[in-house]
This record gives sequence, C-alpha cells and structure tokens, in this order.
Amino acid sequence: MRKKMKRYFRLYRVLISQFFKVIMQSKVDFLMGLLGFFFTQIMGIAFLYLVFQQIPSLSGWTLEQLIFIYGFAQIPRGIDHLFTDNIWLVAWRLVINGDFDRYMLRPMNVFFQVISEKLQPDAIGELLIGTILVVRGIANGTAQMDAVHVVFFIISIFAGAVIYTSIKLFFASIAFWTKTSGPFLQVAYEMADFAKYPTEIYAKAIRFIITWVIPFAFVAYLPASYFLGVRGTFGFGQGAQIVGTECLIAAIFWTVAYALFNKGLQIYESAGN
Amino acid sequence: MIEVNHICKDFISPKKYPGLKGAIKGLFSTEKVVKSAVSDISFTIQDGEIVGYIGSNGAGKSTTIKMMTGILKPTSGECRINGIDPSKKRKENAKNIGVVFGQRTQLWWDLPLSESFTILKEIYNVSDEDYEKRMEFLNEVLELSDFFDRPVRTLSLGQRMRADLGAALLHNPKVLYLDEPTIGLDLVVKDNIRRAIKEINEKYNTTVILTTHDIGDIEELCSRIIMIDEGKKIYDGSLERLKDLYGSRRKVSMEVKQYDSCKKLKLAEKLGVSEEDCRMEWDDEKKILGVSFDKHKVQVPSILNMVMEISEVKDIQIQETELAEIVKEIYNHGLHAAV
Repeated sequence: MRKKMKRYFRLYRVLISQFFKVIMQSKVDFLMGLLGFFFTQIMGIAFLYLVFQQIPSLSGWTLEQLIFIYGFAQIPRGIDHLFTDNIWLVAWRLVINGDFDRYMLRPMNVFFQVISEKLQPDAIGELLIGTILVVRGIANGTAQMDAVHVVFFIISIFAGAVIYTSIKLFFASIAFWTKTSGPFLQVAYEMADFAKYPTEIYAKAIRFIITWVIPFAFVAYLPASYFLGVRGTFGFGQGAQIVGTECLIAAIFWTVAYALFNKGLQIYESAGN
Repeated sequence: MIEVNHICKDFISPKKYPGLKGAIKGLFSTEKVVKSAVSDISFTIQDGEIVGYIGSNGAGKSTTIKMMTGILKPTSGECRINGIDPSKKRKENAKNIGVVFGQRTQLWWDLPLSESFTILKEIYNVSDEDYEKRMEFLNEVLELSDFFDRPVRTLSLGQRMRADLGAALLHNPKVLYLDEPTIGLDLVVKDNIRRAIKEINEKYNTTVILTTHDIGDIEELCSRIIMIDEGKKIYDGSLERLKDLYGSRRKVSMEVKQYDSCKKLKLAEKLGVSEEDCRMEWDDEKKILGVSFDKHKVQVPSILNMVMEISEVKDIQIQETELAEIVKEIYNHGLHAAV
C-alpha cells in the first residue's frame, strides 16, 4: 500500500511537471487566466460593498462577516479547482469522442490519470483572494482563531474540497450513460455560488437544496459561521458538530461519486473510428 | 496465449424517430434499440503469431480489439490474455500489452517525443537499463532519433505512426494490438512499419494482432487471418487456404477479330462444365471476349483452342485473382458454401 502510494506520488510529479512544460510554452495564456480570475474575485467583493452601501445589514449579517464567508468559500473551491479541473473534460468531451480510451489502456488508476493530466493555475486567484480575506477577517476581529479553530479550519477546507470534487465527479460520470453531461455539471457547480452568502437570505427551497441535496452550504457558509461565532459559542462541541457533519458528507459523497464513476467505466462504450 | 470465448457486445441506444416531432417523441419514449456489434466470436492465438483481423467497415473489428484491451466490457463471454481477463483486471492486463490506434495517437500532443517516452518509462516502470536497451533497438528499427526532440504535433503522419509504435513497445509487451497501423501512409513508410513489426515479432516473439484494410499488410505479415462480417466470424485460417478456396478463379481476356461470330459460342457447354465454372463476358466496345473460369476445372489452352477455331485472336491476357479481389468478393457477397 505504501509502496503504491509512493509510486503514485512519483507518477503525479512526473505527469504534472510535463503539464507545466506545456503551459510554460504559452506564458500569455497562463497570465491571462490568472488575471481573469482576479477580476472575477474583485467584482464579487465589489458587489458586496455596493449592496451594503444601500442597506446596513443583511439578515443580521454585517459586511465584514459576509466578506469573511465569501473568502472562506473560495479556499476549498480553489483547492478543488487547482487539482481536479480535468474532470470537466470527462463531462464535455472525453467520453463522447472516445479519447477516454487512453486512460483505459494504461496500468494506472483511471481517476488518478484524469486528474494528473492538469493543474488549473487559474485557481491560484481564488486561493489567494480567499486567504487574504480570511486573514483580514481574523486580523480585524470578525472571526476567531485559536489552536482548536485552526485544526477545524484545516479539516474543514479539505473536506470542503472533497465535497466539490465529489459533486464534479458525480455529474461528470453521468456522461458514461448520456455521452456528455457538461450542462448537468455546469448547473450543479454553479449552485456553489449560493454558498458564498448566508443561506438565510434565500428562499426555503434553495436553502434546502444547497444544505442537503448538493450540500455546498457545508463547504462554506456553515463552517464559516462557526468561525464567526454567530451560533452563540465558538465551543469545541459546536465545531466538532459542524466540521464532523461536513466530513461525513464529504465521505458519503465521495463514496457515491467514485462508485458511480467506476460503474461508468464498466459501461463505457468508446466511440467508433 | 490469447483465448477469446464466445464474446458478444451489444450497444444499446434509445430509439430515434425522424424529424422534429420524432425528436420530441424520442424524449418521452423508453424504447431501446439493441445493436449487436460483435456476436459470439471465439478464437485462440498462440504466442508469437501475427494475426490479421479483417472485415469491412463496421464489421466489429475495433470493438473486438477494444474488448481484448480492456476498454470495453463484453456483454457476454470472456477474453483471457495470458490468463488475465482484461474486463476484471484491467491494470494488470495493461502492463502486458501495447496498443496502437492508427487514427488516434496516444502520445502527449504538445510535448517533444522524448518527453512522451520519459513519461511512459515511469508509467510502465521500465528500469534504466531496459530503457537504454529498448531505445537502442527501437531507434534501429523505427529510426526515431530523426525527430526525437520535436513536439508530437509537428510530426508527419508517418513519423507519428513510427513514434506511436515505438511508444507501444517500450515496455516490451507480450501482445501488440495494431488497429489500422498503416492507414494513410505512403508506400515507403508502410514498408518500414511492416518491417519493424516483423522484426519485433521475430526478436521478442511478440504476439501481434492487427486490423487493416490494406491487403499488403496481410500478405506481408500475417500467417493467419480471422475475418469477420456483421459481428460474426466468417473465416479463420491461413492466408494460403483462403487464396486456394477463393483464388481458384482465373480470367482470360481475348481481343478477337470475328467478335460477332464468337458471340454465338457456348464455351461451357462445349467444355462440358457448368456455366458458373466457365463464364463468358463481353466487351462490345473494345471487342474483347473475357472468360472467367475455375482453374481446377478448365485449362487455358482448351479455351484458346475453342475460340481460335472461330476467330483470329489479336491479343491475350491472363489474370490471377488477387487477394484484394477475394476479400472484396467476400465483403460483398459473404462467404459462400465453399468453406
């Protein structure tokens, strides 16, 4: 098992370094992608400022708190975006045009092959903005951070990234049955945008969906609100409850998504020449 | 050894109806269309054989190969490649096989070829020592060094195919699958590729299974051919036997002076054979009389004698049936009772 892990780490390094060799050939693309994401992020924050110029608070939330939630939401999203962006291609292209064949011919785990083909540097924009906003929130006293919080914070971020990846993998796997599942994946992924803001501001139906069906609320809003202390205490029990539920959701979603992906491999039909 | 036992592959797709109305109807209908791409194919291939797997477009060649390589799971039946069932142990099987799809490269498109080989070395866990040895051999037979540092996307089709073949062989696979390896190549490159395949087969006793539409590939490489049509196996045996069975027809064409009087001639009747064994064809424009006959039943001189009794013959041509003709004949009419 350890030997296997070691081998996969080595392979990952080799494959990703090849990927970098390719993207470095077009530095302009690389920089444009990065810049584009910075602009998207800045627009998002500008939007919050504009809203708060009109109203002093939103369902009891202050501007500073919202900025913290917004920033927090960017981090798991960024981690997932950085490492598993190639899943999109499964949904849009690889299955329908038969390029998926090449993964089936190599003696490596197929999911590993999909994600090790690409890193998405655009994600650095999200990670950077996310980190800046979270640090800012802690610095100005909006959010609390002690040793326990830091541990929960790290766990929460990774569990959140796993939830993102699982949702992407789940909807991409549908392509094995429908040939392409890009539109489904797009809709599901965009639900995540709701999680950048407190769920209380939404209608009941949406709140239900993003909490329990496609649980993006657990990726951002719920853990972030724990660090903000809005549910009363910053206690250990509270943190364990929220982050624990998040981990459980991550585990369940990953299991289901990965099982569906494997089932998809069994019925993969390739494409004619 | 490769064992293929009664494999079938069905593709199921929702039923489609014509027109816009039909498209809407299709959305709500649950009717399915089952297309059987491969039905009940079995064969056994020994180590070191080169087998040509042939059939017309859509006959199910690629589907069979994809099942043997682990890309597709058979609907029923099973393959065993050196004892491993690729549908159950895909990764293990993948270590022992090399695959080249003529229409689709498996190399890293934007990277120099040398990088592709570096990656493959890691993926297949080839030791430095083996790598050196392999590369030396591959360079020798495929002459990769000419373009080893160029990005794959800049290679010509012939270079790319050589590169793909080399990449598939780096880990010294026991079985090599080639799906139309010479498609679109010029004659010189075709020849190179064929020679390389032959050398690899001889030196490493690699089993080779190749699909092709190029009769030259078969004649030069394959000791055995398996022919399929509409998903069913219709022939399995040596090339010689196929030629014997189907290549027994010959055709003699004569340019005759008294064309019209020749038209009255009833050759088959006079030679005492059936119409099928001695068929006459007329080319009124060029005034050429063609006789297509079975070489085991009718001799050329006796035909000539008959004709020359009636008319003066200005020119004669005798044609053997070529393999390409045989294959075309089989594709068009299926296999006759002859086999």
